[in-house]
Amino acid sequence: MPKTVLVIDDDRDIREVAKASLELVGGFMVIVAGSGTHGVAVAQEAKPDAIILDLMMPDMDGRQTLSQLRLLPETKSIPVIMLTAKVQANKQELVSEGAAGLLVKPFDPMQLPNQVCVILGWSVSREDVGRNGSAKG
Amino acid sequence: MVDAELPRPCDGNHTPSDQHRRKLIIILMAGKIRVWIIAASVVGLATLAAVSWLSFRNTEELIAANQRLAQAHKLIEDLTDLHLLLDDAESSCRGYALSGKIDYLKPYEAALAQLDVTAQVLRHDLAADSYRLSQFQELEPLVQARLGVMKDLVQARQTGGFDAAVQTLQSDRGKRLTDEIRQKISAMQTEERNDLLDRERESRERARTTILAVGLTCLLGIALLLAASIVIYRLNRRSEKDHVALQNAERIQRTILNSAAYSMISTDAVGLIQLVNAAAEKWLQYTGAELLGKNIMILHDARELHSRGEQLTRAMGMLVTGDYQALVTKARYGVADEFECTYVRKDGTRFPVLLAVTALGGRDNDLAGYLMIAADLSERHAVRKMKDEFVSVVSHELRTPLTSIKGALGLLAGGATGVLPPKAGEMANIAHSNAERLSRLVEDILDLQRIESGRITMDKRLCDVADLIKESAESVRLLAEQEGVTIVSSSCQAPVKADRERMVQAFVNLLGNAVKFSPRGGRIEFGAECRAGSVLFRVKDEGRGIPPEKLETIFERFVQVDASDAREKGGTGLGLAICRSIVEQHGGRVWAESEGGRGSTFYVQLPLAEPSMATELNA
Repeated sequence: MPKTVLVIDDDRDIREVAKASLELVGGFMVIVAGSGTHGVAVAQEAKPDAIILDLMMPDMDGRQTLSQLRLLPETKSIPVIMLTAKVQANKQELVSEGAAGLLVKPFDPMQLPNQVCVILGWSVSREDVGRNGSAKG
Repeated sequence: MVDAELPRPCDGNHTPSDQHRRKLIIILMAGKIRVWIIAASVVGLATLAAVSWLSFRNTEELIAANQRLAQAHKLIEDLTDLHLLLDDAESSCRGYALSGKIDYLKPYEAALAQLDVTAQVLRHDLAADSYRLSQFQELEPLVQARLGVMKDLVQARQTGGFDAAVQTLQSDRGKRLTDEIRQKISAMQTEERNDLLDRERESRERARTTILAVGLTCLLGIALLLAASIVIYRLNRRSEKDHVALQNAERIQRTILNSAAYSMISTDAVGLIQLVNAAAEKWLQYTGAELLGKNIMILHDARELHSRGEQLTRAMGMLVTGDYQALVTKARYGVADEFECTYVRKDGTRFPVLLAVTALGGRDNDLAGYLMIAADLSERHAVRKMKDEFVSVVSHELRTPLTSIKGALGLLAGGATGVLPPKAGEMANIAHSNAERLSRLVEDILDLQRIESGRITMDKRLCDVADLIKESAESVRLLAEQEGVTIVSSSCQAPVKADRERMVQAFVNLLGNAVKFSPRGGRIEFGAECRAGSVLFRVKDEGRGIPPEKLETIFERFVQVDASDAREKGGTGLGLAICRSIVEQHGGRVWAESEGGRGSTFYVQLPLAEPSMATELNA
């Protein structure tokens, strides 16, 4: 059973590229949300294995979304990787706020699944990070 | 920017050498005039002395001559008197001899007494004149003899009566003596009169000479006075001209000073304000009078000066206090000093300025004070801020679509979406690599702009030099392997206070360049050398080197050794600029050295952490 990853980003194109990368290269199952509010709701319902959360979003930004996710019982244990432009935020601060790690935009779609696995400590082999491979829990 | 000379009153467009030449001429002319004045004074005084002496002598001789004239007149008169007295005495004797009346003898007796007195007076008067005295002494026996003849006549009349008297009278001895006396007196008087005439002529001669000398002296005096007046008039004219020129020069200087779009303030050697121009008054909202004599510190931010003092203390290796010394110390040591700082207006508001400080030399080359010329940077800062914001907004707006483009192309080129036909795959690769390049460029622009604008504060913590070397070398290991280049690192152990991530970024930029420009199989030396107070990092490659004229400019934005490098080596032209910004934010310095064609060496010098902090690191 492939891992499910929720991508929350207000930019539709980035969402789609991330989705394609994680699905096609990483072999994950990907669900997406276009805002923090929507993302929290989807996370509560679908309970994904991991969440990739954009930091800069209108209305409810990544930080607020992260704190909501950490508060809700259904989502508080789901690892969240923050997606951010370079040096936009302090990694230490975000980790202390409950993030599992940091992914820097612009990302390399061929490397993104690998990076996710490294951050989350998911086992990944070179063969896994292929078009038809899948990460193992 | 400013010459080390005080804006002293200058005369128009004269160059220093012109001024020097003019000064020299003035000195020479002044010297010439002085010589003339002294010469004229000496000649005038000598002439006056000579004429005075001559006049004195002439006057003295005139007086003496007059005395002699008076004496001569008196001698003539006395001789005449003597002659008359003798005649009187003779007449009286004859009267008595003929009449026998005793009354007739009265004039004789009176003449005898008077003759005695006259003879005494004459002897006395002629005592100093031996010649005349001897003449008078020749006359005196004749007179006595004549008186003896008269006495014989009187006695003959008294004793022998009328006949005896007639007999005595008939002897011609009396007549002979009388003739002799007359001749003698006449000769003496004639001689005296001749002498008188000579002396009168001589006196007139002397009087004429004196008049001439005095006249000439008067003329000379008038001439000298005239010459002196002309000289004084000319000197006055020149002095007036100089005064006017000086006033004009001062006016020009003041106009320049007040029309300059710079604040100009001069202080004395201890920082008290001596001069303020119009721009300074306007910008700082003080009147000149309010600022004169005040300490320059009132126009500065005390905290800023304090931190500059600390910075200079470190850089110059000597104590620079955080007061006005922080402004002037470099200038005092003859170092051209231009730096950004803050001016504080009277109402407490602030504005940024670029301040140039120059030491002013005094008359004997001692320190007279300082000149501080400031340019208002408010507008420049506002423009810079606008530019930064513009760059930031544009870059952010570029970045978002770029992320998608790069991602999508990456998936296409990487084959994640399926195998593409060869030509399409090639095109996708080109598009992807250029999207990556564009993305790096946007990131670098943003990075540089953020570092330079100070929007990124360096998170400086204690790091070990060896760790920085290790981490930086590790970051480029993969790239080096791909390019077939070996990185040989060595290090010393010492603490520096640095933003670890940023310093590693700086070294990675240098190492990345070294890898890119090294030949396959090349070797890069990456090391650090710990010195007193600083550590010197070194990245040495065996690449093609950097031409001397580019050694400085390669640290500027978008400057590369070869215009094709950006294309061929995939650089953005911003790596070294970012590196320099990061190093400078750490109080360090970066530079390059290269011997054409024999590789290049990049140096980074960073200050070592203070010993107290180093123990913290070791703990």
